[in-house]
Amino acid sequence: MRCGVRCPLWLVAGTILLSCADIAAPSRGNAYEWRRLLPSASGVDTLSFHWASSDLPVRFWVEDSLNLPAHVLSGIDQWEAVFLYGEFSGAVVSDSSTADVIVKTGIAPKGGFSITRLGGMAPECQGATDVELSASGQEIVRPIRVYIDPRFAVGSPGLDECMALTTTHEIGHALGIFAHSPNPEDIMYGDPIVSALSRSDRSTAELAYHTQPTLGIAPR
Amino acid sequence: MTAPISAAILASMRSILAALIIAVASTTTELQAQLDYNARVGVTWSTALIRDDIVAEVETQPRLAPTLVLGASLPIAPLYQAGLEVALTSSGYRAEEAGISRDLGTLRTGSVNLGLQGPISGSFRWRAGAGLLGYWPKNERGIFLRGGTTRFLAGAGVDYRRPVHSQWEMIVSVRYDFHRFTTEELQARGFSQSQGVQRVSATVGLARGGR
Repeated sequence: MRCGVRCPLWLVAGTILLSCADIAAPSRGNAYEWRRLLPSASGVDTLSFHWASSDLPVRFWVEDSLNLPAHVLSGIDQWEAVFLYGEFSGAVVSDSSTADVIVKTGIAPKGGFSITRLGGMAPECQGATDVELSASGQEIVRPIRVYIDPRFAVGSPGLDECMALTTTHEIGHALGIFAHSPNPEDIMYGDPIVSALSRSDRSTAELAYHTQPTLGIAPR
Repeated sequence: MTAPISAAILASMRSILAALIIAVASTTTELQAQLDYNARVGVTWSTALIRDDIVAEVETQPRLAPTLVLGASLPIAPLYQAGLEVALTSSGYRAEEAGISRDLGTLRTGSVNLGLQGPISGSFRWRAGAGLLGYWPKNERGIFLRGGTTRFLAGAGVDYRRPVHSQWEMIVSVRYDFHRFTTEELQARGFSQSQGVQRVSATVGLARGGR
């Protein structure tokens, strides 16, 4: 029965051999273009952005109307669940002056030249996200403003569902997905009809948060 | 491992522990005289739980973890013992990408390891065994979005003992163990196979018993 020092050595050697293989990561090849491509004098300017770790959690202020706070919380939860490595987190705050993102009901006011408007339009409601750039064009000015507008009367069938998915869609823009998906199965489709994020939405957000952004966020 | 399987394994771990505690408590005086037990504290270092590749490589790894180990063994032959070790660790874990580190919260582990012990020379003894290792994240998010996981574990190590009192010995232990890591969330996202994870712990404590 005696095997002395050889027993544990064989076991260690065997387990080291077994430990060589790594987990195989899935492909993120189903991602769509998330960056904003703006025509410029010299060609095309690519705008991309994501919140830095030091900015987390991103602070959302939400107007208490039309069930919007619940829709925003659900949207934040859905986007947080996309990420495996803590790339994004959001929190609702009570003081709008400290917010990074302000979410209100109503139609977006006419934007200035420095505002990039990203929208989404479902049949029962519409949304818009205004991202204002600093004078240098290199930084985003806080807060990003999100507008969710019911197109039908309150209580109309499908309106609450539309508000929910449009809010999630607009939060996607506020996260840094500055373009629309060409696929109707994605929440970031221009005329969103699905209520949950797809694998493509997830892959796109993951790529966006692991790619060096061209835009920063201006200090308060 | 799916949730029902993990739950079943955790339940069986609890059952094994409970059975051993009852067995020890109900042993005869003669058997109790032969029982060797120890308590140790130290640290555990672990290799990466996942190596993902999104744009650059992202590595998720536990930090150096404070560790508590309780062990008990009984002789099965003149020079050999069979025993049980329960180890608990708690530490932060982080994701690292291109030199930038991001804290992911607190991760606790618990392992139950059944093993054999035998002599090397002098005050040194070897130990080898197998068991189960559970991961219990404080917050269910990221790779643990669908909860913790339980994995099979194999390991080996060396103990050094030195008398410090008529009945007590100081024990210094080094352990190496290996398991394959994945979670339900990773499997749902299409991660295939699992990550080989190696851990090394160093602990010191007191032992008492009939060795």
